Amino acid sequence: MSFLYVIRRRLILLLLVVIGVTIITFAISHMIPGDPARLMAGDRATPEIVQSMRTRLGLDQPLHLQYLNYVGSLLQGDLGTSIRTGRPVADDLVRFFPATIELAAVALFFSVLAGVPLGVASAVYRNRWIDQVSRTISVTGISTPAFWLGLLLIMLFYGRLDWLPSSGRLGGDVTAPPFVTGMLLIDTLLAGDLAAFRSALSHILLPAFTLGFVHLGVVTRQIRSSMLEVLQEDYVRTAKAGGLSRRQIIFGHALRNALIPSVTMLGLAFGDLLYGAVLTETVFAWPGMGNYVVQSIHALDFPAIMGFTVVASIAYVLINLLVDLTYMLLDPQIRSVG
Amino acid sequence: MISVRKGGLLDGGYLWYQVRRSPLMAVGTLLILTVLICTAFAPWIAPHDPNAINLVNRLAPPSFEHPFGTDEVGRDLFSRVIYGSRASVGIGLAIVAISMTIGSAIGAFSGLAGGRTDTVIMRVMDVLLSFPPLVMAMALAAALGPSLFNAMLAIAVVRIPFYVRLARGQALGLRERPYVRAAVTFGARPLGIVQRHILPNALAPIIVQSTLDIGLAILTASALSFIGLGAQQPTAEWGAMVSTGRQFLLDQWWYPTFPGLAILLTAGGFNLLGDGLRDLLDPKTRAR
Amino acid sequence: MKTRVQKLSASAGLAVLAAGMLSYSALAATPQDVLVIGKAEDPRTLDPAVTMSNNAWSVTYPAYQRLVTYKVENGQGSTEVQGELADSWEVSEDNLTWTFELGEGHHFADGSPVDADAVVFSFERLLEMEQGPSSAYPSIEMIEAVDEDTVRFTLSEPFAPFLYTLANNGAAIINPTVMDHEKDGDYAQAYLSEHTMGSGAFQVESWEKGQLIVMTPNPHFAEEPAFKKVEIRIVKEASARRLQLENGDLDIAEHLPVDQISALQEAEGVEVGEWPSFSVTYLYLNNERGPLANEAVREAVSYALDYNGIIDGILLGNATQMRGPIPQGMWGHDEELMQYSYDPEQAKERLEEADVGGETISYLYASNDPNWEPIGLTVQANLAQIGLNVEMQQYAYATMRDRLDRGEFDIAVGNWTPDFSDPYMFMNYWFDSSRHGLSGNRSFYTNEKVDDLIRDAARISDQEEREANYREAQKIVVEEDAYVYLFQRNYMLPMRDNVEGYVYNPMLLDIYNIATMSKN
Repeated sequence: MSFLYVIRRRLILLLLVVIGVTIITFAISHMIPGDPARLMAGDRATPEIVQSMRTRLGLDQPLHLQYLNYVGSLLQGDLGTSIRTGRPVADDLVRFFPATIELAAVALFFSVLAGVPLGVASAVYRNRWIDQVSRTISVTGISTPAFWLGLLLIMLFYGRLDWLPSSGRLGGDVTAPPFVTGMLLIDTLLAGDLAAFRSALSHILLPAFTLGFVHLGVVTRQIRSSMLEVLQEDYVRTAKAGGLSRRQIIFGHALRNALIPSVTMLGLAFGDLLYGAVLTETVFAWPGMGNYVVQSIHALDFPAIMGFTVVASIAYVLINLLVDLTYMLLDPQIRSVG
Repeated sequence: MISVRKGGLLDGGYLWYQVRRSPLMAVGTLLILTVLICTAFAPWIAPHDPNAINLVNRLAPPSFEHPFGTDEVGRDLFSRVIYGSRASVGIGLAIVAISMTIGSAIGAFSGLAGGRTDTVIMRVMDVLLSFPPLVMAMALAAALGPSLFNAMLAIAVVRIPFYVRLARGQALGLRERPYVRAAVTFGARPLGIVQRHILPNALAPIIVQSTLDIGLAILTASALSFIGLGAQQPTAEWGAMVSTGRQFLLDQWWYPTFPGLAILLTAGGFNLLGDGLRDLLDPKTRAR
Repeated sequence: MKTRVQKLSASAGLAVLAAGMLSYSALAATPQDVLVIGKAEDPRTLDPAVTMSNNAWSVTYPAYQRLVTYKVENGQGSTEVQGELADSWEVSEDNLTWTFELGEGHHFADGSPVDADAVVFSFERLLEMEQGPSSAYPSIEMIEAVDEDTVRFTLSEPFAPFLYTLANNGAAIINPTVMDHEKDGDYAQAYLSEHTMGSGAFQVESWEKGQLIVMTPNPHFAEEPAFKKVEIRIVKEASARRLQLENGDLDIAEHLPVDQISALQEAEGVEVGEWPSFSVTYLYLNNERGPLANEAVREAVSYALDYNGIIDGILLGNATQMRGPIPQGMWGHDEELMQYSYDPEQAKERLEEADVGGETISYLYASNDPNWEPIGLTVQANLAQIGLNVEMQQYAYATMRDRLDRGEFDIAVGNWTPDFSDPYMFMNYWFDSSRHGLSGNRSFYTNEKVDDLIRDAARISDQEEREANYREAQKIVVEEDAYVYLFQRNYMLPMRDNVEGYVYNPMLLDIYNIATMSKN
């Protein structure tokens, strides 16, 4: 199984995904009740105004033509114009994407920071109290509705303690740094504005913790089960028989091998976090893609919904491709097998 | 303690052994039982009519009369949380039943059929799997119109590909088993083979997966209701209650807190049970 | 392994500590020359020819000037108009030609003077774009610049409220140089959706979506305002807006639900202004389809509702029951008109007369007004008492609008605020049978007599005659139970107590006279 094979397979899939996603979202968006022309014209508009709007949007053309028009402009990087914001969807996505990446990255950091030690401890001390505690934490994470946890945190850290802000990305007392990456934690540092960095950090803590906690369970479970598997492998037993200390075995051999399948997991987790951010962003009014898509759904802004879905699905396939390639690099065994 | 025949499933000693071996699974089972009791006996447990409004007594704090307080039109939140179990558990079970049945059937068929049919089905599933699931469910629910039933359909559709993959994997493994091969050789109909040989053997992992999935389905359904794409008033539904309670968060903490806790405990119950079942049924991770 | 766990808990502890140190609110009041307004959501667009929402008008109204504006008398906002850009005007005998003389000293932010060409440009742009705001000017046939300071409108038919419509947000005069930003023949719509190009006291300097809109003074504006900067912060959660106002991080908090406001009433340093408004909440009864097409059923519903219960229980008393369609405070309002009160017995009788019972009717609503759901639950409980089942149907607002437009509901709830201060905004929109659907007549009410009365009232110029027409029409529509008139709500605006000079005008909800306000 060569790199080229994997890349080719993924690219074919990418093509299929783009076709499939556009057809399906297009179909859904035309099932959605709500005449976009009416929506754009405003409540009190007269029928004549609505009709002229319809013509302008090309909505009086047959469906298949509308679809071809959409795909045609999609190929030129044009995702259409948002009904809600009146701006090109592509521009909107570029504006909101970095906020979501930043949130997902910090959340992933949280969940790995806590999840890997928990998972390892859980596997090593299998069925002992530490395992039970770690499993309880991870099941709690998986079973917690993110939107509710977010609200509880706001209630506590904002409402009662007044330590952390409840919404947004930046405080009112600082100015936004110039746009470089769009990720405020980085941009504020690049601008050398420590006060703004602190403000950005204080804003991201609660949403990132919420998102990270919900994901913590996934990480812990994954580490635990791959660690358990590795601990039962022959070479670990051999090492044990050979008189290596427990610590040497765990950290020298087992952990490294257990982490390899986790790379896949990390990549996929990042994908999940990007989508999972939808609810968290809604609760914390985090101006990212998730918030954007929820508001678009409420406004039945289907160019925006389609744009988001297409971009997110492509991103998902690309992340998968990257994960596969990394995996092959890390694990020579798999490379030679194919 | 229930004592039936020695060594039987309900034998007290055996039960106690299982509880000690896997206390978390026992906790999960207990949680699920509690929720199921609420579901079945809601009218007897709930002290008030969950839909009776009382504008004079709105947003009352928890008291003996109203253990979880009252909502913005004076309905008893405790009763609504009890009744809410019906919506959540019902929708969770329905989603999994639908997606599991359809998904495993397609998956088993695909794996057994092999060749081009298999490739086509799996490519379609790949495409479906690269949709962001929650957004897909949201878009579908929005398109169908907000109702608990439509939310259920939307989530079930999104979950189907996972079962297709799972069942196909099982089918591929089982296809090579001698008894299946023999059946094929004797000219048995593919559907018959799926029914008689593949599905029963693929069942264990599917049961584990579906138990875990009920938890996920409950969470997703409550999320849709939270966004306003699920349950309609006056149906008591936990996600919708958290959603309305959100605007009273800072002054009436009890409003969103208890319904959310109910979601956590119910989804947690199914996840604990699923985890335990996996340990029991999967020899690889079984305790040494 | 132990050390590992210890390290873990240590790092968790550090995280909590770090969170504590980041404690963000310094409880510092906002600077004296900066006004900070807390808004619930971003405006969708700032283009005056597109936006129909007060949420955007907070920004656009002070950024642009119009030919006329609402009067301020003794510090009170009036619904009468006076010249703003126009010094004077005259109207021809037949009410078809309006000529305006522009005053001196009005400049756009780039220093260029506001002249007749700019007025012509703005109105032509508005009418050619054919978006929502243009529907207030159905009869403009021609607009021309007579000379540099004189502009003439020619109407195709007399339109009595014409002068008042010129105070609309949509009548904003835009700097014609905006066309430098035109893309693909969009009349610079993309540019104006995010920028302002007006002659008003403040212009938008920057807008970070979902976060902050900054407005700074127009350097060429006649008078220098007290504020060097106006910040409009987007704070989505109502509770967060309230807390930030309490903490002094905001000077004004918009759109707080009554529960939050009642919690604010005791807060230190905060004053809650309360005024009667023209913002009404009413129920659309489907006059055309389903059980409510039967007038007796509509009457039964009107009797069955607990009006005071809704006002006291849901609005905590901050509203007045409506008496007919025209709200109190607007001319044409009739104090002698019939008003329903809660009378379940009468309701049952009417229902028996109609030989109706056990039907299920729908209540259509959306989540954008938090009061719509409790109102619906009350309607449901009230109608259950007389034997009508109500099914609650909540949709995204966009879907709700679509269903309204197509008449797919039995009862629906809605809010209405007038765009200009004339009973036309209520009578002609709500009852003219040519406006069936979303554009105004949402009950699908049809009555030829009423059509004649209100269409005449829009043409004749004599106010007394118009009022007589509107009174007669009101009697008929109330008699026929076209709608359920619920309440006219009080406008409540919590502000820091050091903010001075705010002038309330029922026509300008969510719009602040930031040019003449100050802080001490």
